Formats: sequence, structure tokens, C-alpha cells
Amino acid sequence: MALRDAPWRAASALCRHTRPAISTLPPSCRRNAASQAAAEVESTSSFAAPPPSPEVAKGFDPVARSRASNKKLPPSRYQYRSPKYYRGPLHPHQPPPKSDPASREFQPGPFSLPRLEQTYQSTIASDLLTLTYTHFPPGYRAPVKDKRLREWTGDSPYYKGRPLRGPRGGSNLRLLTQPATFRNIPEITRVTVHSMVPEAQDNSGVLHVAGMIIQAITNVRVVSHKARHNVVGWGLREGKMVAVTAHVVREDAFHFLAKLVDVVLPRIKEWKGVPGTSGDNSGNITFGLTPDVVGLFPEIEANYDMYPPKMIPGCHITIHTSATNDRDARLLLQSIGFPFYGKLVN
Amino acid sequence: MNMNAGQRTTRRLAAKAAPSICRSCRDSISRNTYATAAAAAQTEDQNTSSIQHIPPVHAASSATSYAVNAGVVLSRPPLITRDLHPFESAFFLYQRRLNERLALPFTRYFYFKKKTPADIEWKRKIKQRLTPARDIGRYKGYGDEAWNDELLVGAQESEIQHQVERLLEDAEHPVIGGSGEEGTEVEANAEGSTKAATVVPEGSAKKLVDDVIERPMPRVTEADLKNDVKSLNRMLQRTLYLLVKDQEGRWIFPQGRLIKKESLHMAAERVLVQSGGINMNTWVVGNVPVGHYEYNFRPELLKSSPNPNEVGFKTFFMKARILAGQANLAENKFGLMDFKWLAKEEVEKEVQKSYWHSVKNMLAER
Repeated sequence: MALRDAPWRAASALCRHTRPAISTLPPSCRRNAASQAAAEVESTSSFAAPPPSPEVAKGFDPVARSRASNKKLPPSRYQYRSPKYYRGPLHPHQPPPKSDPASREFQPGPFSLPRLEQTYQSTIASDLLTLTYTHFPPGYRAPVKDKRLREWTGDSPYYKGRPLRGPRGGSNLRLLTQPATFRNIPEITRVTVHSMVPEAQDNSGVLHVAGMIIQAITNVRVVSHKARHNVVGWGLREGKMVAVTAHVVREDAFHFLAKLVDVVLPRIKEWKGVPGTSGDNSGNITFGLTPDVVGLFPEIEANYDMYPPKMIPGCHITIHTSATNDRDARLLLQSIGFPFYGKLVN
Repeated sequence: MNMNAGQRTTRRLAAKAAPSICRSCRDSISRNTYATAAAAAQTEDQNTSSIQHIPPVHAASSATSYAVNAGVVLSRPPLITRDLHPFESAFFLYQRRLNERLALPFTRYFYFKKKTPADIEWKRKIKQRLTPARDIGRYKGYGDEAWNDELLVGAQESEIQHQVERLLEDAEHPVIGGSGEEGTEVEANAEGSTKAATVVPEGSAKKLVDDVIERPMPRVTEADLKNDVKSLNRMLQRTLYLLVKDQEGRWIFPQGRLIKKESLHMAAERVLVQSGGINMNTWVVGNVPVGHYEYNFRPELLKSSPNPNEVGFKTFFMKARILAGQANLAENKFGLMDFKWLAKEEVEKEVQKSYWHSVKNMLAER
């Protein structure tokens, strides 16, 4: 240790004497990228302007003002309909951007800051980092691994331009797990709720009910799917509507998961948990709910009678995480409050 | 190993001459000598890339050393959601009202069968609040004055407390006679709840008795008002950290020296029990430390100390969470005098400046 430090000590001792005690340049002369940008930022903020005085605010009555004035605004001043179709960049009538409330594609939101999201940011994320962190001392070099895709070796001239061969033992490349840092802490990216009701082939009402229920519990419009093939064993006929799916993201996903963990799952009788073998090796975990469990969602339970009897479907819930393996994804879900049972397969 | 002879010799020499040097240092020494040969700069890269990592090993008997302590950053995570910034709450309310404006009208016929109690209840409620949403105030999207759909400055609908009250009221009180105007609604509701018992049909009146909605607990607790820093019920929105006062009167995180071959995790669990007592249900998170603090003894103290080779100590902090219980210093083994549960900015005021600098980055902002 001492030997290693010696040259550095000597160098720093020399530098100490050469450096002037007080810097001759004022700090403002330093040119950093940040200081350059700071000059361009406006010095005044809109928040600096004082709000209207309480008397003015209190006395302001827009309805009375409009009634008092004889001049009437022409409808073109306050009514606007965005063009229904986008007719190219050169067309004179351009639809407003999607973020504009006047746009036809505008979707309001977010409406809240979900509790689960706040818990994730304040507690879960840092704990996950501490749990998964592996320390590599300075100077560590990761061992060089073989290429995952193999070259084609042989005499054949056709090997020359060929794309590389897949890995041994399987055709698919698994995701690589990078060392855990504060940048790649696993988080929930989206939730997919899927319900397949083959009975809908004979009675379309079943599909409508399934759609309404999935919409009610997820707060997201569902997409319905057709059977792609004839499967006699499952009674599927090609081209018939059999399933609905809701892709839940951001705020809705957090609300949905919180509802699931805090309200629905604790009320299931003798539920063992999510099977530990669940997962697709790349950090997405699926489990299923039976029809009577779906009936426990507060939205369904509140007006259970509304739904036709025996038409409430079960569903599959896939939780997509940014983890690259099932182990990390399971750790995240466990910290949120999902129990796992049985053998944990990674 | 495809290293050349010169490097191998240096290695062997270093290994023979100074057996006390640790392996990682020896590795770096030999690399340094090798690197001085500028001509071989290229080959050095190729060689070292094939060298596998040698984990650092502590010197067996070095001239100077540091004592190793295990520290514990015991924290209570936030228990409730944070207060929204005024801009955030204004934005959320704006978006909710916008949603009301853009959503299709509520289809009562789909959700409620005719003449069922749920249908009657819905009709009564919508008649009172005139808007399907419960907490955004009156929203009128139709008619001649539909343009007047923005809340004015200082409207009470924009206050969180008001919104919470509306939600609770809707859940429990069957109210009659709430007028459309917001200003008079509160008074009207207050009267309405007294009237309710007489005017409401039987079904709803029974419901009034049965469904007494529990009010949410206050977000500011008694401990907050008293500023009781020993209570865990203080500052529910923030992370609280356990700080103890040691024999010299300094505020630090609980710490203790590693015993023999103990790991940091085990040491942290031991330190917690030995300082805070057994009445704490704790979880030490992971096996790696989240930060460290280095302290060098003063030279004059060093001369008089029994072990002059030990120039200071290094504390490695393990992260821990308290799940239940409370600290009790009555039987602590480190001579601790006092404890406090403090948020990050309060920790800064208590601890020494050098300590704060090495500790601040492992404390959560919230």
C-alpha cells in the first residue's frame, strides 16, 4: 500500500507548492458547459409575477361579464374542430399535436401520483439496488466471454456472407444481465391483462361481458382478438372472436397492482401465491385469476348484479418489468407484495 | 500466462522481498513497472486483459492499519404519500376536469338496472352533485355557458381537503337539497345531513346508519406537533434515521467493531441488538455496505495509544429497516447516551461536518 502510494504522494507534494494559494482568476471566468447554458436561461420566471390580488380574483365573474357585454363572440373564436384526417405535411389544415386538448387523439392524464409509485421511488428502488449490487474493486476487468453467436467454419464458399450461427443448445439468445447500478434498477414497465373466453364463439355476450370487466378493473380500453387457427381440442374456430386484452401502463398499472395486492389477493381463500416457476426468463411474470377472484375486485363487487350470472371470466395477468431475468423480477414483485410459492425457477 | 520474463522477475522479487504486501498491490506493482516500458505499451493491454481479477486481500502484518467498524443506517421508510406540490395538485385537478369534459356521458342504463336500489341511489347522488365525478366540483359541459368550465383562482374545489371531504361525504351521507352553486353547497350539505333521517326513503336511511365511513387518520401526528424526536410516528412522509449519541457526545449512526471473521451483515445485526436492544424488529438489507466513513486519530493521541500501528478506523455502513418496535438504550454495550429519529436535513444539523460529508449520499431525499 505504502509502496503504491509513494509516487502519488511525491507528485501531490510537488503540485502543492506550484499551485498559488489564491486563484488569480475569478470563478466567473471558468467556462463550463453548464455556465454557458445558464446565460441563455431567462433570469425572470413566470412564477415571480405576483398572482392577482384577492379582491380582483374574488370580484371576477366571467359569466356576469359575458352577459353584460353586448358583443357576442363569433363561434369561430371559441369552437374548433380539428381535421379528421391527416392529409400530409403540405396540407393547409394540420391537426393539432396529440398533446393539445383540442386534438382528436388527446387523452387526459395523469390524474394522480400513485401511492405504489411513490413507495417504489422512496423505498423499494434503493433497497433493490442494495440487494442486487455486486462490488467490483477498481481495476477489475470482467473476464472475456466467448461470442454468443458462432462463426460458420468450414470449406464451403457459401459460409462467407452468412449471418452468424445461433448459440449451442437453443436458437434464442437470452437477455444479458448487466451489473446492477442506479441506472438499471428493475421497474414495472407495464401490465397486460388478458382474458380468453372460447364460449364467446357461440354467444357474443360473453365477450362483451369479459371486455367490460377487464375495462372496469384496469381502466383501459380492451383490444379483442380472433382465434388464429382451428384447434379442435379447445373448440376454437378460426376467425372467431375469443379473447380480450388490456395493456395497462404508467399510472393505471400502479393503481391496478396496488388494488390487486392490497384488496383482491388478501381476500382469496387458501391462495398459495404466484407460482415460483412462472416467468419467461426475461423478467416478465404471469399468473392467473379464477372467475370468483375477478369478482372480488372492488369495481366488480360494487355492482356485481350488473353482470349476467356465470359470465364473469377469469384472466391472466402478465407483469412486465425492466429486469432482464426472472430472479430480479421476482425480487421486485416480492417487494411490492406478491407472494411466491413452490420452487423458484430462474 | 504469456507474460515476458522481465515482469515475471519483478513479481517474484516483490513476492520474495515483501511478503506482507497484499496480492492486489503486488499485482499493480508489477503492472506499474511493466507500464514504464513505453515500447511495450501495446502489448501491455493485451496481456492485462487476459489477467483475471485478483480480489484484494488485506495485508497480513502491515506497518499501519485501520480498525474496521460496522455501522448501521437504521431507517424507517415513509409511511404515507407525500404532500403534492401546489402545481402538481392543480395539474391533476385540471386533468380530471378535462377528462370529465372529454369523456362520453355516463350510461346509467348499462350500469344500473331500472328501479333497483343501486339505480335509485345513483339518481339521488347525481341529482345532488350534478357531475358524475365526485371530487372535482360542478362541471357543466352543456348549455349556453358551457364555455365557463374553468375553476377560478382560489376556488375551494382546488383544495385537497375539500376534495377528500367530497369523497367521504358521497360515500356516507345521503344528502338532499345540495344546490348547484359551490359556495352554498357546504352549508346545504350540513343541513341536508340533519334532514336526511326524515326525508330519505327507508333503504338509504338504513344505509346511513350502517355505513359509517372511517375518517382518514391525520397526516400530522401528535409527535409532529410536540416535535418528539424519539417517536417513530413523527414525519410520516419522510424517511427517519436512527442517530445515537456516543460516549464523547457525538451524534453518529450505531457502530461497532468487527469481531474476528464476522461478516458486515452479521456485525450489523449484532450492533443493532447491542445498541438498540432486542425490542426492534429489523431487517438488514443485503450484504454490501452502502457507504463508508474514515477517521484518522490525532498524532498526539496516537503516541499514547497502546496500538500505535492502528492509525484510525473505517466504518462501513449497512442499510437496515425497522419494521416494528423502538430503540432502547438501557442495556447498550457501547456506552451510548441518547438516540433520535431524524430526517435527512435534521441529521445534517446534528452530526459533525466531516461525518456528514461521507454520510449524506446514502440518505434518501424523501
